[in-house]
Amino acid sequence: MNDLLLLSPSLRQVINGLVTAGSVLACLLILPTRLAGMELLGVGPNWLLIWVVAWSIKRSPWQGALAGITLGLLQDGLTSASPTHTLSLALVGILTALIQKQRYIQEDFISVALIVFGMAVIAETVTAFQFMFQDLRLPDRLSSRTLSEIWNYHQQIALCSAILSSLWAPALYYPLNRWWQRVNMAEQLQS
Amino acid sequence: MYVLRRWWGRNGLRLGLALLALSTALLVRQTQGAFVLELYRVISAPFQSQGPTRAEILDNAQVQELQQRLIELESQNRSLQELLNYNAAQPQKGIAAPIIGRSADHWWQQVTLGRGKRDGVEVGSIVSGTGGLVGRVIQVTNNTSRVLLVSDPTSRIGVTISRSRFMGYMRGQSGNRAVMEFFEKVPDVKPGDVVSTSSFSQLFPAGLPVGRIESIDFSKSPAPEAIVELSAPISTLDWVLIAPNSKPAATETTPPLTPPEPTLP
Repeated sequence: MNDLLLLSPSLRQVINGLVTAGSVLACLLILPTRLAGMELLGVGPNWLLIWVVAWSIKRSPWQGALAGITLGLLQDGLTSASPTHTLSLALVGILTALIQKQRYIQEDFISVALIVFGMAVIAETVTAFQFMFQDLRLPDRLSSRTLSEIWNYHQQIALCSAILSSLWAPALYYPLNRWWQRVNMAEQLQS
Repeated sequence: MYVLRRWWGRNGLRLGLALLALSTALLVRQTQGAFVLELYRVISAPFQSQGPTRAEILDNAQVQELQQRLIELESQNRSLQELLNYNAAQPQKGIAAPIIGRSADHWWQQVTLGRGKRDGVEVGSIVSGTGGLVGRVIQVTNNTSRVLLVSDPTSRIGVTISRSRFMGYMRGQSGNRAVMEFFEKVPDVKPGDVVSTSSFSQLFPAGLPVGRIESIDFSKSPAPEAIVELSAPISTLDWVLIAPNSKPAATETTPPLTPPEPTLP
């Protein structure tokens, strides 16, 4: 606590930014790995989704949407830009921020894991709809995925991704949340 | 008598245990420790790798024999082609590359390789591994390259049945399965047939082994469909081979594969 208070506000902001960006980078780096215990039917946890939830939980919907779009673009770069990941992650950011505003759910690990579970399902469903609209717009027999393929695959992905992401969510949420709490407290004490 | 009974009361149990231990030790010694060794084997079995069974040894021998015959036939084929002045490209040397990452998204079947532009990898290069075709390079950085696997639903390959030369195209289905759609209504195909890339494929050179037919659905309209089991175990591969691609279309950004009009057999 004290070490943060001793720093000048601008330096603290720089460090805060570095830590935040560093955590996103860490998420990006861990995304292509498939470590033991992080894989179910070839599907791993959606680290970027966990990050967006951790970010949005105590922030406004706008901030959540912004984070979702940013990380969605990053993921687009890592895989494929069509369909884009920004839509699903932005929606996740907005919804997470809205849930916390109403204070229905207490803030602890279990609720975070539950939110991540629900959000993972929502995000994969959004992606499946994106694929479906792509398919409907170009009704070509040779087009990439058929409707039945999309929705069969969606079931598998949504469940695996939701289970793994919610189990790994505290590993990312806890350190990030603590850091942001400390920064906030230092700012309030100084002002 | 009383003294003896008191001594027995005090030391009987001890004596019994000692005798039991001795006789057990004797038994073990007489049987060359078989029981201990057996127990050790049972306990340690889960931690040991299974040695090759008799069937596996025979299988390996058969594989080696077939490989040797294949090499022999390939060289014969090459010399015959030379006699005919057949102008085929000599097999080019590939670049061995480690798989360093899997797909960063669940909807796409991609892998990241640890070789890039500096090692001579280009967009469109063919990636193969133990067992057959793995995929195609779709993006290259200085030291890494991204591969779209043949198991991805968006990767479509013109394929042919090696035995009967019936053509079709193949769509990936996540995992190690793919669906092959035939151009003919009644193709000559049966489970176990080897599937390889056809000369109609615009992205892959012809003749690369892809997999084998697992099951066939003749009732599919408008043309029969077959499930293809990909022969390269992509999820367990660590190293792959990148080979430059001679097909001109491959360097462009994924042109749609246009199958020829279905012809009557």
